[in-house]
Amino acid sequence: MKCLELADVYYRYEGSADYVLKGITASFESGKVYTIIGESGAGKSTLLSLISGLDVCTEGDVYYEGKSLRKLDRDDYRAKSVGVIFQGYNLLTNFTAVYNITLSMSISESEITDRQAKKEAAYALLDNMGVDRETADRKILYLSGGEQQRVGIARALSHNPDVIIADEPTGNLDAETEGAVLNIFTRLAHEDGKCVIIVTHSENVTAIADEVIGIRAGKLLSGTEYRASLPCHVSYPSQENLETKIKENEQ
Amino acid sequence: MKKYFYVIENALLNLSKNKGRNFLQGAMIFAVITTTVIALSIHNTSVTLISEYKAHFGSEVSISPERMPSNLPGITAEQALAFSQSEYLRDFEVSEPDDSSEAVDAVFYLKSPELLEAFAAEVRGKGLPDGYKVDIDRDAYARMVTPLEGLQDISFTFLLIVLALGAAIMVLLSVIAVRERKYEIGVLRAMGMKKRKLAMGLGVEIIAITCVCYLFGMIAGWLLSQPISDALLTGQQSAELMNAVAAQPLTSVKISVSPLTALEIFGVAILLASIAGIISVRQVTKYEPIKILMERN
Repeated sequence: MKCLELADVYYRYEGSADYVLKGITASFESGKVYTIIGESGAGKSTLLSLISGLDVCTEGDVYYEGKSLRKLDRDDYRAKSVGVIFQGYNLLTNFTAVYNITLSMSISESEITDRQAKKEAAYALLDNMGVDRETADRKILYLSGGEQQRVGIARALSHNPDVIIADEPTGNLDAETEGAVLNIFTRLAHEDGKCVIIVTHSENVTAIADEVIGIRAGKLLSGTEYRASLPCHVSYPSQENLETKIKENEQ
Repeated sequence: MKKYFYVIENALLNLSKNKGRNFLQGAMIFAVITTTVIALSIHNTSVTLISEYKAHFGSEVSISPERMPSNLPGITAEQALAFSQSEYLRDFEVSEPDDSSEAVDAVFYLKSPELLEAFAAEVRGKGLPDGYKVDIDRDAYARMVTPLEGLQDISFTFLLIVLALGAAIMVLLSVIAVRERKYEIGVLRAMGMKKRKLAMGLGVEIIAITCVCYLFGMIAGWLLSQPISDALLTGQQSAELMNAVAAQPLTSVKISVSPLTALEIFGVAILLASIAGIISVRQVTKYEPIKILMERN
């Protein structure tokens, strides 16, 4: 089922004549993991900010469940329908990890209304990400990059969104946690029917993708086209490799 | 309503998280409230006293020769009694004549100071000869009211300066505070918090700070207003006046903070909080989360 659609999307920054995204058309389905790959400055993060409702495209439209984001309340969309994992974490550094999660639940008007229950749910979510209670009760300021990244992931999942958008979500994680997080993404898509969109440079992340999308100079390419366009010294996993890795991961 | 609870809770939690900034903002509000308490209580007390003194000294009329020394015999008890039969008077006092003459000292109390001219015309009509003046005790009036009028002017000017400066500083502090919190605002907006809820949170914070400062400012202002009033009043006594008047001039006024003054100060506090709030809200609505986060990252 189509969850998100981009229809001939163009984007340029305020005061700039050059387009960062040039006529992107794509659709994202529920129950699938997508990875977006591309060089730095290709427009990947801009694309994510449009999909996550943080910004509005200059031309064209982004549709969520058939409705244009221009017409939807984007605050509600961000609070309830999408969970964003930022590359820079974007957590409230003066507050504890657990408070960051419960606050996100409150903003999204979560079904859990009882304060203690909300806190327990947040602890459980953090525990899933490998953050113990003691760490969860510490201020973000005192957490390592890896711990902050896990909290960022937990926060994005805290309101059970339909779409999960992640910008380099495993960049600061050790191999073990990376594996666990990727398993969570796969499970969310394949078992819970979520649409997971990940921007990454990591081969391991690309390996779990059901679809790989390449982006070059603001234009979209299929994974195969993208790989073909790369200089010979740069390599992303071949389709066969990808399939093998997905199988390994699922096992 | 329940969905707004977390906004209030978050705002109150923020108060303890950003102690330095909140302390600075609180100190400013405290200073403005304290000085407002001082200025307003002195001003209001002066206004009340001036009005009381005006009513008292402005309605106390005596009849005396226009020029001193004088050969005029003064008014008799019969004349005084005839003059006292007036609808403009609420009371009168006539002294016993002394042995050497039939003249008496008479004081007439007008119902209101504005009736002086009408009463003077009436007594002239009843036969008061030329050479006598019908007037209030202007020396006593000046002795009591002039310093108070000076005090009233000073306190009012002071109040205006404090309010203007206070408002300007509050605007500046609010702009700085919101700028400092740009990242936090960006994160909350990115999480989907609506602008109105964010603005409400900032409003709750500033109102909470204002209420605490109001309490302490009232106490400090109440303690300081009496000595400051006494010092200002002493400065108001002109040497000329002191020499000209035999009686002791006004050197102290009992300053009180009436419920009305407390309410007025609360109004000032809320006004300041609103200014800070409006500026914060304007700033918040200007910011787009994506720009804030991009700047930060």
